[in-house]
Amino acid sequence: MQLLQKFKRGSSKKAKPKGHANYAYTTARVRAMKSKILPKETYPRLMNMSINEITRFIGESEYKEDVDELARQYDGVNLIEHALNRNLAVTFTKLLSISEGDVNFLIGEELKKFDIWNIKTILRGKYCNATNEEVLDALVAAGRLSYTFLSDLATKTTYEEVISGLENTEYYPVLKDYDGTNLSDIENQLDKMYYAGLFEAVSGSRSKDRKLFAKFMRMGIDVKNLITLFRLKKANIDNPGMMNLMIDGGLKLKLKDIERLISLSFEDFISELENYPYWDVISDVASPDMVSLINVESRLKKYRLKSAASFSHVYPISIVPIMDYMLNKENEVNNLRLIIRGKAASLSDEIIKEQLVI
Amino acid sequence: MATETLTTMDPAGLKAIGAGLAVGLTGIASGIAEKDIGSAAIGAMAENESLFGKGLILTVIPETIVIFGLVVALLIS
Repeated sequence: MQLLQKFKRGSSKKAKPKGHANYAYTTARVRAMKSKILPKETYPRLMNMSINEITRFIGESEYKEDVDELARQYDGVNLIEHALNRNLAVTFTKLLSISEGDVNFLIGEELKKFDIWNIKTILRGKYCNATNEEVLDALVAAGRLSYTFLSDLATKTTYEEVISGLENTEYYPVLKDYDGTNLSDIENQLDKMYYAGLFEAVSGSRSKDRKLFAKFMRMGIDVKNLITLFRLKKANIDNPGMMNLMIDGGLKLKLKDIERLISLSFEDFISELENYPYWDVISDVASPDMVSLINVESRLKKYRLKSAASFSHVYPISIVPIMDYMLNKENEVNNLRLIIRGKAASLSDEIIKEQLVI
Repeated sequence: MATETLTTMDPAGLKAIGAGLAVGLTGIASGIAEKDIGSAAIGAMAENESLFGKGLILTVIPETIVIFGLVVALLIS
């Protein structure tokens, strides 16, 4: 039945979610899954381990199955990297398969991020003539597009073939304008399409939990825009054309605010930010003479995680706890990857610690 | 002269209807209440089997509603 639903939804974008939404089942299961996410205390312990110890630790944790499965093909840091990716894909597709109706629809919309990520990866791979193996390594098939479909696309030789392979998907209208040179433009459009789709999904219902989800999502957009703004300002770019990179629909930072902020110098930008609510989060790490943006970025990401957790307590039986879990899972995978890659590149513990979002 | 037939309701019958309603409606109510708890318990159990005991207890808590209904039905009849 679910397969049929998925098949139906895959073929047309506007298809209404079918079936009864099983919020109680999904949220309870997701909460049980969340209890398996590594606790904060693990990271300092991991920092004190060597690569082999970390590999062993991960191999004995939730990632055991993935590590065992991939141990034949990869080893060392690569093995962990692939196991993490595989686990992420398996977990998220599991969320899709245990949910029904409305929940399934919303999770699917959120997971389109990975579909878009994969399409980008393949196109980038073709753009710089990467080998098939390299492209396949970078795929995370956590969305609605299956790994088989994506790996099939990756084996195509030119980008035209890739795009015609995606003819039946909703991404085609954007992709068909790709002429081999305007990759960044197409990528931006895909991202915007993702957010437009999310907004459309949320606007369908006026219920309170959906409004909360919209708020949560718009806060995510704010955080993304702020990070982009910080990077642009740090690099002294004040080209108004950069407004293209901004995503519409933020909660506290509207497009016209961003338009004003983007024309300021870095010092003025920082002092102007004091008027926005996000200043409280970054006040002690942001200053006009800051050298690195890492602290600000991890602070903002941490803030988003925290607010997701508190949001999920407001409506325990809604889509929000599921999104909270997804955010936490992704963050865990990122942190583990960071530690293992950092250790492999023999970075100092301080640098790795700065980058971690705990 | 037309004869009027008087129909009266049997009190025993009304009692029986009342008792039936008491059990029937509370049964439906506890069913509705247990539906979500039960599916949530199954969901949690799928991830962590040790939650079986807790899940079972929480699932049958709304059973009290139908037990009250049964008590009322017994009192009526």
